[in-house]
Amino acid sequence: MYEGPIQDLVDELSRLPGIGPKSAQRLAFHIVKADPREARRLAEAIIQAKERVAFCRECGNVAEGDLCRICRDPGRDPTTLCVVEEPKDVVAMEKAGVLKGRYHVLGGAISPLDGIGPEDLRVKELLDRVEQDGVTEVIVATNPNLEGNATAMYVAALLKPAGIRVTRLASGLPVGGDLEYADEVTLGQALEGRREI
Amino acid sequence: MRLSWVELRDFRNHRETRLDVPDGVVVAVGPNGEGKTNLLEGMHYLLDLASPRVGSDLPLVRHGAQSGYVRGEVETMGGRVLVEVEVRAAGANRVQVNRSPVRRKRDLRGRVRGVFAGPDDLAIGQGDPDRRRRFVDEAVAALWPARDTLPRAYEKALRQRNRLLRDWEGAPGQAPAAIEAWDAELVETGSALTRARAEAVARIRPPAAEEFLALTRHELRVSYRPSVPVDPSAPDGLEPGRVEEAFRGRLAERRGDELVRRSTLVGPHRDELELSLRDLTVRAFASHGESWAAAIALRLGLSSAVAEALGEPPVTFLDDPFSALDPERRHRLEGRLAGRGQVVVSVADEGQVPASAAAVWDVRGGVVTPRAGGEGRRAVQ
Repeated sequence: MYEGPIQDLVDELSRLPGIGPKSAQRLAFHIVKADPREARRLAEAIIQAKERVAFCRECGNVAEGDLCRICRDPGRDPTTLCVVEEPKDVVAMEKAGVLKGRYHVLGGAISPLDGIGPEDLRVKELLDRVEQDGVTEVIVATNPNLEGNATAMYVAALLKPAGIRVTRLASGLPVGGDLEYADEVTLGQALEGRREI
Repeated sequence: MRLSWVELRDFRNHRETRLDVPDGVVVAVGPNGEGKTNLLEGMHYLLDLASPRVGSDLPLVRHGAQSGYVRGEVETMGGRVLVEVEVRAAGANRVQVNRSPVRRKRDLRGRVRGVFAGPDDLAIGQGDPDRRRRFVDEAVAALWPARDTLPRAYEKALRQRNRLLRDWEGAPGQAPAAIEAWDAELVETGSALTRARAEAVARIRPPAAEEFLALTRHELRVSYRPSVPVDPSAPDGLEPGRVEEAFRGRLAERRGDELVRRSTLVGPHRDELELSLRDLTVRAFASHGESWAAAIALRLGLSSAVAEALGEPPVTFLDDPFSALDPERRHRLEGRLAGRGQVVVSVADEGQVPASAAAVWDVRGGVVTPRAGGEGRRAVQ
């Protein structure tokens, strides 16, 4: 549509997740019109992030060195692993500050429609870690959607025969929520996961 | 429940229409293409936030306008519900219920309910099985708005599993990795849908058969034939776990075939809603008139089932219900419209205006003029 560099920029931007052709166009023109220093800062930030940020060799979380902050922390229980899809899920869990164990980032969820199978995730690394670190419990904290559930099911089927306790985060009513607005699936799961008071 | 007034602005061909709506049978009359159906569609939109005619909202906005507006008030047993919708040609619609914004359609559908029957419903009897499954899913959503997510959830699981089977490049007879995980998702979402469909059909069947009998003097048989081998009419046929177990069993039996055909062969996407009269299926043997009678009986049956579930009748919309019927049946259908709360009907022919109408509206070029009160008709301003 456009010529030369501007079209290249639009093309590159529209390959980013969540950016459609229109947004890409808007961003591209914003960058072109912006102060050259601003553009340079953005480019520099991208390069720095790409060069300096690595993935933890243990858990797959983002790290600045070989190991991430959590895997370096001797206070974290290595026998409990919390399996999540993405590094941002680690951040979410850490914000709550309720997990004493460590994490394992799969790098996504199984989704045949997106061409993602178990071999594209860090499943083998999970099995190795479980074996080597004497893990006793694996908490599967993949997203409570179709793909996350299928991934959880797949991981559980691999670990259970080894005698590992595999648990799944509970699904149900949000705290502070309203019963009448809950959908049937959520209510059903909340009922299934009910506990004595 | 009853829609007490409605206002359409820049909605389809209605520039500015404001109407008080009485209870009982209300009739919009006018030639083709003048805006009768659009009026019914707009009123129904207030109750359902979706058009019964089109999947996208773009055609709802009057040509040349940025947004269309539909407002109105519904009197229900649970109180008055003021609904205001801005339908945007581009971007998300804005919906307010009693002046507070709502995010999900379900939040409104839990409080108000409309049932719409129109010429497209001929395809329920005459079209593909898919059209009948869609009718049943619409019925599920109308009866239990909280269950309206079930068809989508199942379809998503199905698409994932189908893609897995299609793209699998393993040795013949070998199953793809993670197939069990997708089996579990398919069984969970599919069993919930099967149960909901079975329960919906069980509720619609008696009133639909009653309507059809009253209309045609013949019996209409409505039966749900789930792809999963369960008997929905058996007292324990739908017990928790029963559908899941049958589903898993049939999947295991068909595993070999599925790997050869590379597609999911068991599940609600293969359900059938059987409609038959005089032991012949509607699809293969019914005439145009009889297919329409079956469609209208199903919609009125749904309306009755919703009334029973809710404790008050929904607002029922019948778009051009009389044209396909002979005079005798037309007369009988008229007789069936009373006593079911508010029923909004469109007719193209003056001769089809039911004598029992509480109000008659003349529709011309997107302008609606209520007729002054006459025989058996109450005046509306």
